[in-house]
Amino acid sequence: MSEKTEESEKTEGRQVALPGSTDAPTAVPLPPKGDLLLSVKDMHVQFGGVKAVDGLSFDVHEGEIISVIGPNGAGKTSAFNCITGFYRPSKGSVLFAGRNLTRMRPSNITKLGMARTFQNVRLFKDMSVLENVKTAMHSRLKENVLDTLLHTPRYHRAERQCTLDAQGWLDFVGFGGDEEHLVTQLPYGEQRRVEIARALATKPRLLLLDEPGAGLNHSEKQALIALIRKIRELGVGIVLIEHDMGLVMEVSERIVVLNYGKEIADGTPHQIKNDPKVIEAYLGAEDDD
Amino acid sequence: MASLFGSRDRIDDLLTAPAPFVKRPEQNKGLLHPQRFMNMFGLIVFIAAMVLPFISATPYIISILTSALIYVMLAMGLNVVVGYAGLLDLGYVAFFAVGAYTSGILSTRLGWSVFETIPVVLLACVAAGIIIGGPTLRLRTDYLAIVTLGFGEIVRLTANNLAITGGPSGIHGIRTFSFFGWSFADGATLFGIDFNSKVLFYYFVLIVAGGLAVIGAARLGKGKLGRAWKSVRDDEDAAEAMGINTYRVKLSAYIIGAIWGGLAGVLMGSHLTAVSPTSFEFLYSALVLMAVVLGGMGSTPGVIIGALFISLAPELLRDFADWRYLIFGVLMVITMIFRPKGVWPANAMLPWLHRRSPMRSAAERDESDEAVVVTVPEPPEERRP
Repeated sequence: MSEKTEESEKTEGRQVALPGSTDAPTAVPLPPKGDLLLSVKDMHVQFGGVKAVDGLSFDVHEGEIISVIGPNGAGKTSAFNCITGFYRPSKGSVLFAGRNLTRMRPSNITKLGMARTFQNVRLFKDMSVLENVKTAMHSRLKENVLDTLLHTPRYHRAERQCTLDAQGWLDFVGFGGDEEHLVTQLPYGEQRRVEIARALATKPRLLLLDEPGAGLNHSEKQALIALIRKIRELGVGIVLIEHDMGLVMEVSERIVVLNYGKEIADGTPHQIKNDPKVIEAYLGAEDDD
Repeated sequence: MASLFGSRDRIDDLLTAPAPFVKRPEQNKGLLHPQRFMNMFGLIVFIAAMVLPFISATPYIISILTSALIYVMLAMGLNVVVGYAGLLDLGYVAFFAVGAYTSGILSTRLGWSVFETIPVVLLACVAAGIIIGGPTLRLRTDYLAIVTLGFGEIVRLTANNLAITGGPSGIHGIRTFSFFGWSFADGATLFGIDFNSKVLFYYFVLIVAGGLAVIGAARLGKGKLGRAWKSVRDDEDAAEAMGINTYRVKLSAYIIGAIWGGLAGVLMGSHLTAVSPTSFEFLYSALVLMAVVLGGMGSTPGVIIGALFISLAPELLRDFADWRYLIFGVLMVITMIFRPKGVWPANAMLPWLHRRSPMRSAAERDESDEAVVVTVPEPPEERRP
């Protein structure tokens, strides 16, 4: 963290793109700054007769924060599951760093550098906090079965490094509990943090967060916003599904709005806020503050 | 099958893990270090088991302890499948049969010594693990259990009907361990003690083999593969999202389980010098599963206790004659009522091994959270007039 990577310098230079400075109404969407990372093209997901996602297209560039919003049942999580390989799109393509992901196993997609969290916290409940994070380093750990059986120096080296890295990520997300506790013993907010630490431990280039703010109180949400910005500073691109409009407007650089599986808008927070279609579909019905 | 060999394809890492900066409480030093304490404890049990025959050694006691150790090996193998990977296997005894029959056939037909049969047994077990696991591991939970139950029966019925396996009467006259022309049957006098029966030799062989089986399975459970197994058990989709090829990981659990079971089969075959299909009935799969569940799924000391219980309790209850299986059953029901996670649950730690240093207090934590919040810039709409 102390040494600035090329990416983080790039993002430093892109602070202009933060919502705070995009107040002036702009008609054209912000020009993409980093390299193209994820490109979803005309994605359709169908379950029987139900069109969960009906022609979604958006791009994510390196180190960018994008939110996908929409009313309940709009197909946000289906789109996420499709991008990460859990569902197969019935039409369209998902390109990640130039590779087509549509027929890949989720584990291979993760190995390429895309990590995700789940809508309902899905930690490994009978494992300790530390083990949960260590598990995410599986594919990068240089340790084979014989090393484990014979406790070779390579095993000890790999395990020691793995533990240190896991502790590093836990500290990074601000986890404050006992890392040797079972995850089920933690309060909900801490579980959310551990899930993000676990996703980061896979060393992603793109992090997909599925409603990370759900169930958090005000101060926990503020800490989450700070954490999301901190992750972006590492150069990681972030795609966010979130219902909390305050959080979304504050943190995202661009917003994609879905309704009934269809993409109805794509633009800066300011544009989205003033888009009549969005207000009609979403904010108008939900906005009570 | 293409998915079995995942793509090596990878983009260069963007991130390096930050160094931990929060001070962590120190582990207990010396003997109170949890892992070291349990290792020492295991070593003491091992030495006690080695010394036991020199104190009191009727052939009967040695013989039932030998079969108890075979159960320990089996239970450690099944613990990998059921306890670590969470795959309910009701036909585990099939692998036991594959090991016993492969070794038995090679020994009686080709005259190989037990040691020489082991490499072939390993190959046979890996093959059996892939054949049984490959198609069935796409199933989950109850469905998997039913299919494995079927496979267990298929293996037994096949052995019952093939000529090469000796049909219902099985294989007899399996050769014992021999090296350089000397075999266990010859007996020996070591350190002034007369080892006249091979029963005693088998006991020592099984102490060592059982010890290695326990250490091996426990080490696997703590390493990279063990974490992957446990993650698949706890949440398969989340494991997949962590870059773990769940199919391959489950198959590896099956193969490791098959190897442990197969090697136990080899030792059982040469211990009893005979194998027959009646040794591989469903009852034994159920008993070994009971050892794992009763002892504590995924817990090494628990599973050993469970295996010793299911193998020794019927012997200890012999005085009750016809009642012994009833009492055996009642004891198990009582255990499950009072210890639903097993006698020694997987995450249990002896109370005096817990770390003493306190964790960060809640107040301290909130303070640092506040510090983070301060750096958050004001939301734009509030600055607009």
